[in-house]
Amino acid sequence: MDIRLLHPSDIPHVQHANITNLPENYFMKYYLYHALSWPQLSYVAVDVSRPKKSPYDYPRIVGYVLAKMEEDPPDGVQHGHITSLSVMRTHRRLGIAEKLMRQSQRAMVETFGAQYVSLHVRVSNNAALRLYRDTLGFKNEKIESKYYADGEDAYNMKLDLGFVREQVMDEQDEEAEDADEGEPVGQLGKQEEGDAGKDKEKKRKVRVGRGLGVGDLVEKNESQKV
Amino acid sequence: MPQLLSAKEQSLFRTVVRNYEDKQYKKGIKAADQILKKNPKHGDTLAMKALIMNSQGKTDEAFALAKVALQCDMKSHVCWHVYGLLYRAVKNFEEAIKAYKFALRLEPDSQQIQRDLALLQVQMRDYQGYLVSRKAMLTARSGMRQNWTALAVAHHLIGDFAEAEGVLTTYEETLKNPPAKTDFENSEAVMYKNTLIAEQGNYQKALDHLESAGKHNLDRLAVLELRATYLAKLGRKDQAEKAYRALIDRNSEHKEYYDDLIEVMGIASTDHKAMKAIYDEYAEKYPRCDAARRLPLNFLEGDEFRDVAEKYIHRMLDKGVPSTFANLKHLYASSSKKETLPALVRQYIDSGKSEANEEPKRHGDTSKGASAAYYFLAQHYSYHLSRDLDKAMEYIDKAIELEPESVDFYMTKARIWKHYGNTQKASETMEHARTLDTRDRHINTKTAKYQLRNNETEAAIKTMGLFTRAETPGGPLADLHDMQCVWYLTEDGQSHVRQGHIGLALKRFTAIYNIFDVWQEDQFDFHSFSLRKGQIRAYIDMIKWEDRLREHPFYSRAALSAIEVYLKMHDKPITNGANGTADVNGEDAAERKRAAKKARKEAQKAEREALAKKNEPNKSTKEGDNDPKKKDDDPDGAKLAATTEPINDAMKFLTPLLQFSPKSIDAQLAGFEVYIRRKKYILALRCLLAAAGLDREHSKVHQQIIRFKLAVDKDLETLAPQVAEVIKSEFNLLPASVSLTQYNDEYLSKNKDCARRTLAALSARKLLSPESSPNFEKDAMATLKLPGTTFEEAKEGLELLLSWNSGQVDAFRSSAAEKWPKATIFASPSA
Repeated sequence: MDIRLLHPSDIPHVQHANITNLPENYFMKYYLYHALSWPQLSYVAVDVSRPKKSPYDYPRIVGYVLAKMEEDPPDGVQHGHITSLSVMRTHRRLGIAEKLMRQSQRAMVETFGAQYVSLHVRVSNNAALRLYRDTLGFKNEKIESKYYADGEDAYNMKLDLGFVREQVMDEQDEEAEDADEGEPVGQLGKQEEGDAGKDKEKKRKVRVGRGLGVGDLVEKNESQKV
Repeated sequence: MPQLLSAKEQSLFRTVVRNYEDKQYKKGIKAADQILKKNPKHGDTLAMKALIMNSQGKTDEAFALAKVALQCDMKSHVCWHVYGLLYRAVKNFEEAIKAYKFALRLEPDSQQIQRDLALLQVQMRDYQGYLVSRKAMLTARSGMRQNWTALAVAHHLIGDFAEAEGVLTTYEETLKNPPAKTDFENSEAVMYKNTLIAEQGNYQKALDHLESAGKHNLDRLAVLELRATYLAKLGRKDQAEKAYRALIDRNSEHKEYYDDLIEVMGIASTDHKAMKAIYDEYAEKYPRCDAARRLPLNFLEGDEFRDVAEKYIHRMLDKGVPSTFANLKHLYASSSKKETLPALVRQYIDSGKSEANEEPKRHGDTSKGASAAYYFLAQHYSYHLSRDLDKAMEYIDKAIELEPESVDFYMTKARIWKHYGNTQKASETMEHARTLDTRDRHINTKTAKYQLRNNETEAAIKTMGLFTRAETPGGPLADLHDMQCVWYLTEDGQSHVRQGHIGLALKRFTAIYNIFDVWQEDQFDFHSFSLRKGQIRAYIDMIKWEDRLREHPFYSRAALSAIEVYLKMHDKPITNGANGTADVNGEDAAERKRAAKKARKEAQKAEREALAKKNEPNKSTKEGDNDPKKKDDDPDGAKLAATTEPINDAMKFLTPLLQFSPKSIDAQLAGFEVYIRRKKYILALRCLLAAAGLDREHSKVHQQIIRFKLAVDKDLETLAPQVAEVIKSEFNLLPASVSLTQYNDEYLSKNKDCARRTLAALSARKLLSPESSPNFEKDAMATLKLPGTTFEEAKEGLELLLSWNSGQVDAFRSSAAEKWPKATIFASPSA
């Protein structure tokens, strides 16, 4: 399975995968809203080896993660949110969901300075819980009573993305060293090399992604919950 | 002459505007009426009132009032603007643009009108107009970055990349301080500019720009990917290699990265060893990586292939990965790989290695080891390139024996039944699989699909209803419409076609058509939204995709089905006289007339009721509800089915099909069928030529060539000379010296081993010499004896005989039933 960014042209098949797998569905515009607001965050798993049936064959989507940044977070902390994630039953056990999630989490940190990522999951969905809690390290934040349309409760889960941030900064340091070979290391470089404490402080300052008047496109409809 | 308002009324007018903006429609109307009491001909107030009424759903009255407003005050930009907004609301964008332009001429400084105009222009792809508008908007407010970006976008959409780049640069030069690293709008603008530079083919400049301005860009992935591309294009292979390796380290499941890496390393595509070494390196580095292990199977051959495949398959079967077969079946294009893969699986079973797995099984999932191996073989024998359905059944039953609760196994069993042509058993088996995991929507979806294939439409919607939102008014079907569930609507429509429910079938296909309209309309809000958000590259992607939206197979499938229905409706009155059999596909003309009458009556009734309701003091409609949901006045598609011009109705589906999918042979074939019936011979010929260009030997192309010739010859006298001339010069598909009969016979003898082509030639022969049809019927029977005939082809043979009202129908049926004893379709209708 090929894992790559979601493009707008993938949306009909992502929508198809969603309504095939999950009871929480969305109309196309809501997918567009994700793809055009945070194009770095949503990923798809695609069957690329499938021979084309016609010149207009679109790649079949066997899994996707639809993700966003919280608009105007109430706690003031930039964070991501997983709107929807699913993998076709026929393509499970390849670790696709985990790989999709990791790509998305990384982009949340790199592009939008996310501090953490949150999501909702049905309390009865053991397979998903195993993925989020055991594999990805999410923690239960609280239970949201009757979150789903059918009356089921949701766990509100969170994952602190500090470890991704560390990783990203390490890589950037390496790159800087690679790229600046021979050249004098600038003030910034020195600071970063210096001490970890300062590093941390700097990290906290990162605040990215302004709310650029998106209110009218944010779906208030309850059916849009994960 | 426009009336002037007193100060008090002016303030009242501002209240009206505010009420409108706040969606307080009743208050707004009240205030407007207050002004109009004293100034009944005040154009702006009339216009505002019309606008509010439109928001209340009273479109017709709103238009009437807006016209009155214009009569009162032709020189008011408000009146023209409102007029445009009303047109915009009913999606008549051309008229809306005209009205906005009038308004703008009267009030050139209005930002609001200019903006509304610009949005419509880009929606309508009037890029030149959009450019003019964006220039004006920039001049009016040059301090805003998004106005600069928007102008660049306008140039870009026209195709002028250099100009677009220049606009962005000009803006950058006005900045006194460099924007913060975390300024997202700036970050994206830099990347947008970078892609504009690259689009001009200037990769060096693009690379330099990326490495300077884009160095700390927030979109890391884009920077890394573009950098790798530029380095590769510039032939800086070492650096490119490094760049691609960095990308694989980020995401080792993306095939393109490996392909590109191998290319920049200068490894020949024949050097399997070197290629394999690359994949091995990453397989070792990333133990959980699938791509690095699987991709070498694409190029390896012989023993090398065998070794790698063995390792891969064992690993997958040990883990019990249900998609193992799906991930490998593309290799079946190679006949030796098609042999090797199942042999490896059999070996795996024989080795007994599979027994070792004692791990507790997860609920309903594919299990590991032996059952996973049986499962693989079942899929292998079910696949069309290696089909042996009895063996498939044997293996899936073995798997089920080991694992009687497996949803996946029963799903495959159901699919095997489907391939047998037994929709009944397929549906039952899938239903059984569903009961094994009732909380999983995927299996629920499959069950509904198989029920539809078995024409159990009622059961299918009930199944779907287990997962649709309970509180949607109108039930599961309404929810599936709301959620744009294209697959269901299409399958349901096709199921209704098979059951002869023309109205419902057309209803569903029309619903798909409308969904695509909605998808096209959906982009509108993003013309402004994306500029505010600053995500320009994604926006441009979206525009380009929307431009070819209807090439999507979701559209063509529904459109082709709808056209087929309309064609049958058109043909029915002609063939009806001779039709004595219980043909499920048709209502005859008289019946259609009755239906039409009924539909008209019902529509009138609905209209009366709606009117009565409108005049009632409707308290339930809340203020602010600006989208009163219109009641469907034709829920069963009776009106659609009552059409007296099915061929004209088919055009609605055909036009986008031909425009956006010209390389689809099915589209061209459908185009021919529609145009030939409309006697549009040149258009029919154009489709035929296109189809022949795509597949000259296609059975339908052959048939259409003959039918075209016959039709044109018949109408030769009445054809306009220019038309005849065009046909003469362009219709080059028939050899000049050969008669049609000869031509057809040659095709027949050339394709005597292919049932489908034989049937096509027989059908043509029937047209050429109808008198000797008993022979053709026998020949059609004989296609059943061909070794390669599939049951789908046999089904087509049966349909052909049915259309001839042949006496051989029953014989054909029983003979087919003998060959495909498990298929339901050949069972005699009375049984």
